[in-house]
Amino acid sequence: MLRDRIDPAQLARLGTLPIKARVIVEGALSGLHRASVHGSSVEFSEHKEYTPGDELRHVDWKAYAKGDRYYVKQYEQESQLTVYLVLDASASMAFAGGGLAKLEYAGLSLAALAYLVIQQQDKAGLLACGDREIETMVPPRARSRHLHDLLSVLDQVMTRGAVGDESPAAALHRIAELTRRRRALIVLASDLFDTEDATLQALATLRAQHHDVSVLHVLDPHERTFPYDGLTEFHALESTNRMLVNPATIRRDYLERMEQFLTRTRGMLTAAGVDYHLASTDRPLEATLLDVLVARSRLQPGRRAS
Amino acid sequence: MGFLAPLMLIGILAISVPIAIHLIGRRRARIVKFAALDFLLATKRKTARRLRLRERLVLLVRALVCVAIAVALAKPFTSCERKGPHVTRGPQAAVLVIDDSFASGYIVDGKPWLRRAAEEARRVLIQLGPEAEVAIVRASEAADQPSELTRDHVRLRDQLLALAPNARPADTTRALARAAQLLAASSHVHKTVFLFSLMQRTGLRTDEPPWGKDGPQLVALDLRPSKMTNLAVTALRVDPDPGAGSRGMAFDAEVGNFSDTATKVELQLSIGDRVVARGTLDLGPGEKKGKRFLATLPAGTRITDASVSITGDNLAIDNRRWVSASLRDQVRVLLVDGDPRTVRHDDELFYLEAALRPGDRDDSGASVRTITAEELAGIDPKAKGRGAAPQIDIADFDVVVLANVAAMPAERVAVLADWVRAGGGIMITPGDHVDSAAYDKTMLPLMPQSLRDPIDTTWGASPEDRDSRALHLVKWEADHPIFTPFSKDAPELADAKFFKIALLGPTTATADRKVLARYTNGAAALVEASIGAGRTVLYTSSIDRDWNDLPIHPGFLPLVQQAVRHLARKHTQGGQAEHLVGSSVVLATGDLRRLEVRGPRGLGAVFEGDRITGRSSVRYAKTDLPGVYRVVGTDQTGATRDRDELAFVVNLDPRGCDLAAAPPSALPPSGTASGAPPTDHQRRIELWHALAALVLLLLLAEGFLVQR
Repeated sequence: MLRDRIDPAQLARLGTLPIKARVIVEGALSGLHRASVHGSSVEFSEHKEYTPGDELRHVDWKAYAKGDRYYVKQYEQESQLTVYLVLDASASMAFAGGGLAKLEYAGLSLAALAYLVIQQQDKAGLLACGDREIETMVPPRARSRHLHDLLSVLDQVMTRGAVGDESPAAALHRIAELTRRRRALIVLASDLFDTEDATLQALATLRAQHHDVSVLHVLDPHERTFPYDGLTEFHALESTNRMLVNPATIRRDYLERMEQFLTRTRGMLTAAGVDYHLASTDRPLEATLLDVLVARSRLQPGRRAS
Repeated sequence: MGFLAPLMLIGILAISVPIAIHLIGRRRARIVKFAALDFLLATKRKTARRLRLRERLVLLVRALVCVAIAVALAKPFTSCERKGPHVTRGPQAAVLVIDDSFASGYIVDGKPWLRRAAEEARRVLIQLGPEAEVAIVRASEAADQPSELTRDHVRLRDQLLALAPNARPADTTRALARAAQLLAASSHVHKTVFLFSLMQRTGLRTDEPPWGKDGPQLVALDLRPSKMTNLAVTALRVDPDPGAGSRGMAFDAEVGNFSDTATKVELQLSIGDRVVARGTLDLGPGEKKGKRFLATLPAGTRITDASVSITGDNLAIDNRRWVSASLRDQVRVLLVDGDPRTVRHDDELFYLEAALRPGDRDDSGASVRTITAEELAGIDPKAKGRGAAPQIDIADFDVVVLANVAAMPAERVAVLADWVRAGGGIMITPGDHVDSAAYDKTMLPLMPQSLRDPIDTTWGASPEDRDSRALHLVKWEADHPIFTPFSKDAPELADAKFFKIALLGPTTATADRKVLARYTNGAAALVEASIGAGRTVLYTSSIDRDWNDLPIHPGFLPLVQQAVRHLARKHTQGGQAEHLVGSSVVLATGDLRRLEVRGPRGLGAVFEGDRITGRSSVRYAKTDLPGVYRVVGTDQTGATRDRDELAFVVNLDPRGCDLAAAPPSALPPSGTASGAPPTDHQRRIELWHALAALVLLLLLAEGFLVQR
């Protein structure tokens, strides 16, 4: 089962990293992550001079009695981080150049993140996209039992394999609707092989709604080095296209085009304030997750990436 | 189209092999399910298209190779009506007679007719088959001919390829005769002469049939163009034109229109490389007309080549004719009359004067002064003081002729000897006033050989026997400049009768003594020797008709003129005579020790060493092209320069310019020495050679496509 595939020691080591300081920006993680959002909660934080519009129920009458001035009590609000894990399970993610398939690598990465999040009693939800016929969504919950449910669904998706050609854009738009009122962390694991820029635009939209967005751009090493030789017939994974070619004759052009694609994708996402991580499937999982968490921890509490 | 081995067409099924290879090859391609295929398709769509096209081309080429090999093995052929001669394949003897005269350079469809004839001959050679013994005989005049038939067809084909029009006219009759000789030596029953000729009327002689009734079979190929026209410069001569000044020359060109239509011809006269005059000439069908150009030689030029040319027909070689134009040097001759008479025709010098100045014209080439033997005393400085004779400056003369002059005093002889030694020329002719004993006493310094008493060959003979006992000139040095105008048996000399001649005694102290001509009794007739830088010539009979009748023969005039010019070192230049292609030219060497002849194609021959030492002339025979032949000579001092006086021109034999066809009756009858004529008029053309070549090309293409 999926839980067997996740190395608990690895997850425990990741758990020691200062992810708490990073995720607390939204104050979602109880006890670890403090939100910079002020409101009415259970623990007093400070007084603030009354201004019209403040709720009268928060007026500290005792302070008024002492200083003849109106003060309003402010409280620190403990909030839970809502994390949406989006897995691109379209057919292109089935590609495996020799090691793990991209879908498998992406799935394990998101499972580890879900494990971490729920272990910290934050909410973790899952959306898998790719197959237009089947809608896979696990709403965010923080209960430990929920981790079991989430990982079970994730395991089903990975077992079913990568099918379909639906881009993650639809799933991202749905998250935008679900999290209209509450900020969330959205982590997308995808190869971003989208013929249009719908996915990138959807990510930018989420970022514009003040959500934290991280992207694991999962690519197979063969896709980056194109190590093929001899007469080869390439079959597309998301279409019926085929191409018989001597790879040596087109290698240079292909690598140039791939580099342009990576540069453009990275540039667009970084410009939109999205955390971008290129995840090669030959790279250790923990190294990739570490990159994600380290990047998030650099963000100061109360500061949003512009 | 048919096939000799149609079963081989089954091999076309082999076309399935490349198709199978193609399909298997596709299957053998490694299949990779690739996520980023859109990158490949987007960026290399053109490459993919090219790859697909290349694959299909390779398949097509391989399929064609299979089909072509199978069809080639089936030996396809097609057939057509024979156009060429009836050629029987197999053991036989055959001679291919090909006209390579200059007329064969006639341009037909942009290339010489000879190329077409050679191509036809090559086809016949192939059709005869390797067992046929064949020879190629060229039909141009004086062409080298093969000595035997051969089966070496490769060499024969090379000969055909190497054939080129030469500059001689056609002599088809002689070539056919040679072909008959070659075939007569063959043991084959089937003997054929294939004639590839323009059938020029001038090349076929009906009076000398090359063979009789039992001669070889004659197959004459009709390769003559339907219409052949030709314009040619057939003659050109140059003469001094005193009316145009001292350098004036009149060039008389004759142009022939060898066609059946009237035409207008443009002519141009070139002196050296410069065109100096142009003109036109209207010529009717088959008409020849003359055109005169008057021109002056360039200043400072005494001798040069000139040519008249026309343009605008298909046979270029006869459109130009050359001539050597020279200003004649006046030879200054002092005639000493030893027997002057008041009756003109009895005078010793009557004939000689007339011969040296024919018509007493100023342009005769000689200025003559006649004096008596007594007046010759005027050359002696000692006599001048005594006033015995008017003063004569001997240095004003090139040649002195002592005609029947009695022996002179030693002092006067010494004066003459000094003059000769300095470069003068003296000619001594005996007569009744010449006493051999007196000559021995004083005249030997001028004599190449001493004189003895004359003999009268008709002494005691009756008048009717007189002619039969006369002597004649024989054995003259034909190469000597004096005898250049004469052939070896020229009747104009040989017919002259000599009744009395002076015999010769011991030789004198002169150098290079040489007998130039002898009589029929072996006695010397003309003896030459060098005295210092000059020359002396002794003629052993009288210069008038007292001892012989040579003066009334046509040879007398050129003989004495040549002798005088030779003594004056002003020879009649070789270039002034017309030389036809192939003729030999005699070149006077004088004191040259090396001589180069440069023809139209560059250096033609070098005469040096033994080829020139001790010779007064050399003979040049490589006149195989029309044009100007220049001569470069090196004298005894080592100085090398152009010898314009020796340059000569060579022209085509104008007989070959007439391209008119001979009637069929001019050909010899086809003989009986032939096999049965073939009845099959269909000619089979085998196609497998072309298919084999196609296979090679396809394999090359396949290799090229696979390597890409």
